[in-house]
Amino acid sequence: MASVSLKGVTKAWGSVKGVDDQSLEIADREFLVLLGPSGCGKTTTMRMIAGLEEPTSGDILIGERRVNDDLPKDRDIAMVFQNYGLYPHMSVRDNIAYPLKVRGTPVADIGPRVDAAAKQVELTALLERKPKALSGGQRQRVALARAIVRTPKVFLMDEPLSNLDAKLRVSMRAELKNLSHRLQITTVYVTHDQIEAMTLADRVAVMSDGRIVQLGSPEQIYNDPETLFVASFIGSPAMNLVAGRIDDGVFSTTEGPLLTLPDTAPVREHGQVVLGVRPEDVSVVAPGEGDIDATVFAVENTGDSVLTTIRLGAETLVARSDRYLKTDIDERIGLRCSPDHLYLFDGPSGKRLR
Amino acid sequence: MRDRTLKYLLVAPAVLVVGATAVWPLYESLRLSMHAGRLSRPDFPQVFVGADQYTWAFFEQPAFWNSVWVTASFTLVTVALTTLLALCFALLLARGGRFRSGVQSLLILPFAMSPALIGVSFRFMFNPEFGLFDAFLGRLIPGAENINWLSDPTMAFWVVVIADVWGWIPFLTLVLIGGLASIPQETQEAAQVDGAPAWKVFRDVTLPQLLPVLAVVVILKAIFSLKTFDLVFMLTNGGPGNATQTLSHYVYFNGFKYAEFGYASAVAWLMVIPMMVLTYFYARFVFDRE
Amino acid sequence: MITGRTRRRLLETCQVIAILAFIAIMLVPILWIALAAFKEHVDVYQLKLVFEPTLENFSRVFAEPYDLGTKLFNSTIVAAVTVVIAIPIATAAAYAFSRFRLRGQTLLLVIILATQFVPAVVIVLPFFLMFRDLGLLDTLTGLVIVNLAIVMPFAVWMIKGFIDGIPIDTEEAALVDGSSRLQVIRNIVLPMAAPGLVTAGIFCFIIAWNEFLFALILTSKKAVTLPIGLALFKAEEGDLWNLMAAAGIIIMVPMFILALLIRRHFVQGMTMGAVR
Repeated sequence: MASVSLKGVTKAWGSVKGVDDQSLEIADREFLVLLGPSGCGKTTTMRMIAGLEEPTSGDILIGERRVNDDLPKDRDIAMVFQNYGLYPHMSVRDNIAYPLKVRGTPVADIGPRVDAAAKQVELTALLERKPKALSGGQRQRVALARAIVRTPKVFLMDEPLSNLDAKLRVSMRAELKNLSHRLQITTVYVTHDQIEAMTLADRVAVMSDGRIVQLGSPEQIYNDPETLFVASFIGSPAMNLVAGRIDDGVFSTTEGPLLTLPDTAPVREHGQVVLGVRPEDVSVVAPGEGDIDATVFAVENTGDSVLTTIRLGAETLVARSDRYLKTDIDERIGLRCSPDHLYLFDGPSGKRLR
Repeated sequence: MRDRTLKYLLVAPAVLVVGATAVWPLYESLRLSMHAGRLSRPDFPQVFVGADQYTWAFFEQPAFWNSVWVTASFTLVTVALTTLLALCFALLLARGGRFRSGVQSLLILPFAMSPALIGVSFRFMFNPEFGLFDAFLGRLIPGAENINWLSDPTMAFWVVVIADVWGWIPFLTLVLIGGLASIPQETQEAAQVDGAPAWKVFRDVTLPQLLPVLAVVVILKAIFSLKTFDLVFMLTNGGPGNATQTLSHYVYFNGFKYAEFGYASAVAWLMVIPMMVLTYFYARFVFDRE
Repeated sequence: MITGRTRRRLLETCQVIAILAFIAIMLVPILWIALAAFKEHVDVYQLKLVFEPTLENFSRVFAEPYDLGTKLFNSTIVAAVTVVIAIPIATAAAYAFSRFRLRGQTLLLVIILATQFVPAVVIVLPFFLMFRDLGLLDTLTGLVIVNLAIVMPFAVWMIKGFIDGIPIDTEEAALVDGSSRLQVIRNIVLPMAAPGLVTAGIFCFIIAWNEFLFALILTSKKAVTLPIGLALFKAEEGDLWNLMAAAGIIIMVPMFILALLIRRHFVQGMTMGAVR
């Protein structure tokens, strides 16, 4: 059990900065997710915590202790790799036992602990097999078992679910959530999948270009995004974003005035602005009864909801309604945007206007 | 033209060439080995002697057994030394970075030297009067200046070994570097995180995964060592006496210095047997990956 | 106290030193021979590093009685002709092995593989007799024939490896569009495999260039190749190391250049696909 701290950590290769002077405090037992697209620096950050990469500058602390100079094996951590990193020539049992064996655990203790870990991930029947005789999901559980067989100070997980098929991913998510709740160990989890971040995290650090752009609980990230990037990255389907300007409380695009902003809006005048509203906050109504009238461009029934897309000049807007909605392409409809869920972002900088 | 006919037509020329230039001579060589014959006789090769020349080799020719011994010990020593050293260098060079990649490129150069050329060069460098290595080693090891490298049977053997190992290390190093690169980095990092110090990572994770490539390296080098001719011919010509006379050289000597074609063919065919065994194992590795 | 970081730096420095030592061991002999080629006769005996370089050795080796020029010509012709014959034949077979399933395919491939490992001494004896009867001794034609024997297995396996690596989609699309198989080979496969063919060709050229035993036994005067030319200096041994070194350079340098050209595919070629 330990906290993890990053203080002013930078990782640079020549002039390229993978991680740019970032600081982060992770509390003991917290499940922190590093979320972002490829190349944002999340994996590099985690590898520096693990000791597989050396920071160019800055300090990394595990449990109040500066570990920059410690080898991975001395940091008392466990890691689940993206491709699992299983030892192909060893049986499942030996894979799980390896962390114990290599640290000199008495032989008598190894067996029971391996069995306990295997039981927790439901691998007991497969202990004698070799990794190549296992499915993807089973291999992933071996990697997990190997990580939990010790009780390290910190768990590190590098996109552990990204190589599983969609259905398996969903069920493993639930298992991971349950497992982490039971184990109560500080966890740093890297992913590009925002649903994983939302469902698993205590807090999420959204990263882009080597920097943490926003740090907060999943609810905060979802409902109170700091920047355009965060707003568009989280949420599926993505938040609707329309570029335009605000004059005298009215939002207009190049096509003309679109929407009158409510009185609670943070600004009444702004040159270059982006308006954001999530599809679930846009409802389909009869023409004339909403804020916008438009022609339906596409209708998608996902089973649990209906997504209606309309075109506004060059931009599109998506509305999400319950699954009983009936509309057709080329039908004329109205859209009403919930006034409490409008977001405004400064165009050039992407920062949220408050 | 249908694919069915075409595919055999495509393969035919190559099969014909290999058949005519390799398979047929093998058969013909076997036939030769069962007929007595000095090359100079006009009725050569005439007399059928069956397996006589083989038994003659086994039971009446100490020189034959000398060659067997030389070849066997040469093979064992060179395979062991080259593999070990190549492994060390491969481990040193396997990590990325411009320096190491640059060095890897340089490794090709010694390989472009044919064994014959290596033989000549090493003969030059071990010359007791002006050889570079003679001078270098003479200064390094007391008493070594007096060694006449190529005139002493034991020393000559070791010079041949050194020259051979020197020539083959670059190639085998490159092969092993390729093998190391194919081992997933994650397995090694996982071992580091699990708590293994560097040497245990190598012993428990890297080496077991490297075994198939190592096997290929060992078999390949063994085959090349067994065949050695060019190097020996240019470096010592089998001498002093026949201290460095490998089987290939022995066959050459009998066939073209003594013109005993039948006998030479017999000995040559005896060489084929270990080759076939090694080739079988090598083929296994090649086809496993198909 | 030695921290983890300092220890890692120290280890890295040791490794670099070891690598430099390795390189030195590998390159010094080559450099030494290269130096000797430019030395006067006298300097060779004195292990000098600094000396007056001379090109006289090179001019002498090309003159009588060594006549390296003819041998250089012979080597080039033999190697070039071998490659020109071997590559098309090997490519045809390699394509067939790669794209089709033939009866007895594995056996054929194993035989082709195995012939590479047969010691040259085994087959040189029958060849000698046959050439003697056919009047092919001491001819370039004879040398080409035996070199074909040697390079064919390499060529087939190397090219097969390259063709295996070319995605089959484009060919299948062309077949669906109406091309015949031969047209597909000519218009699609050959251009895409061209780098591989060149690599295999260079590889086989190097092998034929350095070939020793067959040239030693099957030639005597007219068709002698460069490596055997080297052996001829041996007869007057002790005297002419500087000449030998010059001849050595002439043999080596073209091969260095060619080897550098194909270094990326080198390992794959030599192990015939056992290691990628």
